[in-house]
Amino acid sequence: MAQKLKDTILNPILKGNPITVLILGICSSLAVTVQLKGALVMALSVIAVTGLSSLVCSLLRNTIPNRVRIIVQLVVVAMMVILVDQLLKAGEGTYAIDKQLSVYIGLIITNCIVMGRIEAFALGNKPIPSLLDGLANGVGYGLILVIVAFFRELLGSGTLLGFPVLPASYIPNNLVILPPFALILLGCIIWAHRAFDKELQEK
Amino acid sequence: MNTNSNLYTVVYTTIIVVVVAALLAFVAMKLGPAQDANAKAETLRQMMSAAQVRPTEELYAAKNAEILQLYADNIQEAYTIGLDGEKNGELSIAKDKIELIGKLKPQNKLIKEGGDATLPVYIFKSGIVAIPVYGAGLWGPVWGYVALQPDCYTIAGAYFDHESETPGLGAKIKDEAWFREKFIGKTVEWGEEPAFRLEKNAEASGAANAVDAITGATMTSKGLNDALNVWFKAYGKHFGMGAFLHMLEEHAIQSKED
Repeated sequence: MAQKLKDTILNPILKGNPITVLILGICSSLAVTVQLKGALVMALSVIAVTGLSSLVCSLLRNTIPNRVRIIVQLVVVAMMVILVDQLLKAGEGTYAIDKQLSVYIGLIITNCIVMGRIEAFALGNKPIPSLLDGLANGVGYGLILVIVAFFRELLGSGTLLGFPVLPASYIPNNLVILPPFALILLGCIIWAHRAFDKELQEK
Repeated sequence: MNTNSNLYTVVYTTIIVVVVAALLAFVAMKLGPAQDANAKAETLRQMMSAAQVRPTEELYAAKNAEILQLYADNIQEAYTIGLDGEKNGELSIAKDKIELIGKLKPQNKLIKEGGDATLPVYIFKSGIVAIPVYGAGLWGPVWGYVALQPDCYTIAGAYFDHESETPGLGAKIKDEAWFREKFIGKTVEWGEEPAFRLEKNAEASGAANAVDAITGATMTSKGLNDALNVWFKAYGKHFGMGAFLHMLEEHAIQSKED
């Protein structure tokens, strides 16, 4: 049991990482990784949405009519996304970030990770493992987001979390700010991940 | 219980939707005041950025309370005008009950269809006058504040924002400081059609009321151009006199030179 629980938590972060292995949620990981701050808020939002949606859907799993289960999942996920968006808009410190992330918070609902985990895991498992699975998948997604954003903010603006870290003589690289670079970086991360974990390589 | 019967499905989905809707309505109601306070501070930041009260970065680093204080300290007078160009209301500038016309969409509708519009005019102690503009970009609304020098003719500064323009293209109207800085020193030709030109190669004409459109953001630029001109036209009757006086002044200078 303990081993299974450990797998539930670690698998989405490493071997079954939603971005680098399942290649889900690519769109938003290209869009919100220009700055570390935005990526962190996005990561936390996704963690909250995946965790809570999985928990609620797991609690409801025995009552949901099979024919409309996707619609019910959609309603639950949409509710969580709106809650997160409303909370970000209400916080004085998060209002500006919410504006900066603009549509991408609302688009968490279209992130395949959320519905994918509900459909694949939460509907067949008890609430606590489902919550952990949702959270862990959010963390797996957030981790890659933060790594990409770290390099993009460092090389593209010479700052981290808005604080200048590179010497003033560094000329920010504009290519790094553009989405194509995020894709290149993501490719490098996937490459490194597969080189590190031989099991991920096809025979 | 048969969870696959039609009746169960209909009742179940109805209950889920009603519960979720009630919850969201409750949350929206509870968080409303905090969100409004944020939106108000945001409007003030944009307006004061255009009016050059403080640099944009400084305004965005300041807390909401500091922004309200800064506005109260720097504002001289705020009032609204109708479409006839006449003053039709006062806006409170007292620190604890600052009044703004923050929602520009209904005003935009009134400008286009005619009606009892209340278009705000914010006059700062520096003599700079800030007015809003609003229109439709490519994906959603674009808006902003244009600040005029005391002559009500030369642009002192501008700040533009958008709801969902494409990042890296249309979003440049907000993200790029060089874009809003281009407006500084330009003029608004009240009463002329168009009063301002944000178009491709407009700067090459050498006109004082022209700024180049953004490459790759044709529709956003066009939307912002329309926003500027629709609102400038609405304010034309109010500020037109200032422009007229300016013209007389120039004539006087020219006559002296002659």
